[in-house]
Amino acid sequence: MSSETKQILTTDGIPLEVSLKKAERKNKIKAFLLVAPLLLFLIITYIFPIGEMFTRSIDDKMITNMLPKTFKEMESWDGQELPPEEVFSAFYYDYKALVEKQEHGKLGQRLNKEKNGFNSTTKRLFRNIKRKKIDESVSIKEQMMKVHKNWGKVEYWQAIKRTAPPYTLAKYLKGMDMYYAADGSIAQVDEDRRIHRILWLRTLEIAFFVTVFCFLMGYPIAHLLATLPMKYSNLLMICVLLPFWTSLLVRTASWMILLQQQGVVNDFFVMIGLVADDSRPEMMYNKVGTYVAMTQILLPFMVLPLYSVMKTISPSLMRAGKSLGGTPFVAFWKVYFPLTIPGIGAGCLLVFILAIGYYITPALVGGASGTLISNQIAFHMKQTLDWSFASAMGLMLLTGVLVIYWIYNKLVGVDNIKLG
Amino acid sequence: MKKLSKLLLALSFVVSLTSSAFAVTIASWGGAYTESQKLGYGDPTAKALGIEINWVDYSGGLSEIKAQKEAGAITWDIIDLFAFDTINGCDEGLFVKFDFDKDFPAAPDGTPASEDFFTGMPSECAVGNILYSWNYAFDTRAFGGKEPKTIKDFFNTKKFPGKRAIYNSALTNLEIALAADGVKLGDGGTRVYRKLLEEGGIDRALNKIKELCTDPNGGCVFWSAGAQPPELLVAGEVVMATGWNGRFFNAEVGEGAPIKQVWDGQGLDYEYFALVKGGPDEANAKKALAMMTNTEMLAGSAKYIAYAPWRKSSLDVITAGEPWYKDGKTEMMPQMPTAPANTKNYFLVDPFFWADYGTEIGEKWEAFKAGL
Repeated sequence: MSSETKQILTTDGIPLEVSLKKAERKNKIKAFLLVAPLLLFLIITYIFPIGEMFTRSIDDKMITNMLPKTFKEMESWDGQELPPEEVFSAFYYDYKALVEKQEHGKLGQRLNKEKNGFNSTTKRLFRNIKRKKIDESVSIKEQMMKVHKNWGKVEYWQAIKRTAPPYTLAKYLKGMDMYYAADGSIAQVDEDRRIHRILWLRTLEIAFFVTVFCFLMGYPIAHLLATLPMKYSNLLMICVLLPFWTSLLVRTASWMILLQQQGVVNDFFVMIGLVADDSRPEMMYNKVGTYVAMTQILLPFMVLPLYSVMKTISPSLMRAGKSLGGTPFVAFWKVYFPLTIPGIGAGCLLVFILAIGYYITPALVGGASGTLISNQIAFHMKQTLDWSFASAMGLMLLTGVLVIYWIYNKLVGVDNIKLG
Repeated sequence: MKKLSKLLLALSFVVSLTSSAFAVTIASWGGAYTESQKLGYGDPTAKALGIEINWVDYSGGLSEIKAQKEAGAITWDIIDLFAFDTINGCDEGLFVKFDFDKDFPAAPDGTPASEDFFTGMPSECAVGNILYSWNYAFDTRAFGGKEPKTIKDFFNTKKFPGKRAIYNSALTNLEIALAADGVKLGDGGTRVYRKLLEEGGIDRALNKIKELCTDPNGGCVFWSAGAQPPELLVAGEVVMATGWNGRFFNAEVGEGAPIKQVWDGQGLDYEYFALVKGGPDEANAKKALAMMTNTEMLAGSAKYIAYAPWRKSSLDVITAGEPWYKDGKTEMMPQMPTAPANTKNYFLVDPFFWADYGTEIGEKWEAFKAGL
């Protein structure tokens, strides 16, 4: 018996297996077409930008392209002592070409990120080139060193040499207040320029405490919402949702009005005699303001998942616990609380991750001591235009969130999260 | 369906109209200042030339225009800038270079434009509009009759306790910190800049500010928009604030706020317009710019705010027309930062210092703020 005779055929003579596969493939294509818009959307708006951010954060080709002659000459320079005349003149001609194209400003700013003081150093050279003060027939090295004393410092030339490779991790190091030292090792930046580590820690601290405050306040509210009769709980639900639907900016601005030193809250404290008129507490433009405003803004993200979980817990479970001899607390702790853990997990994760990336609220109410790492990212996006550094910090933030998610998964298990 | 598509068509046309090149867009600092620019010379110029002039607010710096250029969609034609930003922008080829006497009209008596201005131009891309001052004001309700009078008092938290509002970047903060730390301003403040360039000069200034900001009797609030300092003072959030004299004038005289200005240690500064290269309507913008900076027009803006016009000839127009302020009874000349009574102890903000060292100092400043 050959295998062909075993085949089952459909009415139109095609083997059943083939026909089934065909139908299956059709279904698969249909299913894929249904998710295709979403997939496309995700690729365009999420995956592609992240890839773009990553290349931007390590791309250092700009400077390699700007100083072609210099890097060529530098290959034979050992980097220990001041470079020879050839390197100086190569740099001079490279720079002059940039001046003609009016791109020298970019170079100065880029080099300044490598070594502080470079911007003013190159600007001085630019002015001298513009006024035609450099005589190209004699030693350019001597003249450049006269233009600015920094040209005579080997560190500045080492900084240029360091930028030769087209890709670099320098931005990530800078995000941790470190840099590549002259000999290629990793060193800490000067103490008066260390800023990012303070901000990372502050961001984590604020996100952590906001999560804790949200939990402490959200848990009882969610419990009340879940156990009250419908007509009361609906009203309470509106109280939770109304601020949720109000614009973030409006809520932050109202907190500014409430919390400022001559604001409503302080006036009230003075009126009831809690504080003296001349020693009103500062609740704005510092960490306190950030805590209060962020907790209020993120509270619904804690309450809603908790509520959805608590709603599914039958009240008879608590009664059963009590009837078995537990005090109300024991019944709560042993029966009710463990059942709410999926909600707690979801709420805390949601609030923490949102809090870590917060930026408008701290910018408005945070003052100097309440600003977060995201404000620094915004600063580099908007003010210094160091987009590659902003990308690097953005990716560091994203990695941080993923790590937290991973730890959470190890500790609690992601399948235990319940959002509703 | 047809109606809907017609509506959409009409709508998209309106959208394209409002966002296209039929209007000259000027980015400036907002609030009372932009108001004075709009009423003083923006609207009259728009009317005379038959073009539309839009004013948009921004908070200074070149980053936004650079971002627009990088994104390939420049939406601003003219920017109102600090002197050092016109230098940097000109160096980087963002702005149109002027041929001064050709591009700008002469004074009524025939003095060419380049001689009608108070000082030389910081760069070829700048045309001045006002002379303003970084001074400070205090809340008259705060100290029970005592009044701060000098720049040292701004840092004296023992005699004058309470929070201070200072500018959100190092610009002029370093200068006043050194002045309060005992450096004599002298000849237009050049000594301060020499001291800042000395070893440890910047640290000395930063430490002085840090002292103020970390003092339990003091403390700092950082402002970034010019409207904030008077607001913070009126709200009682701070007792003293550095700021721009025109904004203080507007609050004090225009709105009757309980604040008073202190002129000791003021930083005199020029404000400039720059014409964006490749802006949406470069040709009209150039015409508008020439008209807005003529003698009559510049004098016009001083009707609304206490900033001195950049042309000497405009001052004559004001003097002849006193009381010049829009309320019809306030004399404008004594309110100007250039009035003799106000310039006993001042420094001239040095654009070249800030153009050359601004970036490095900016980094230190950010670290200083994060460490507070």
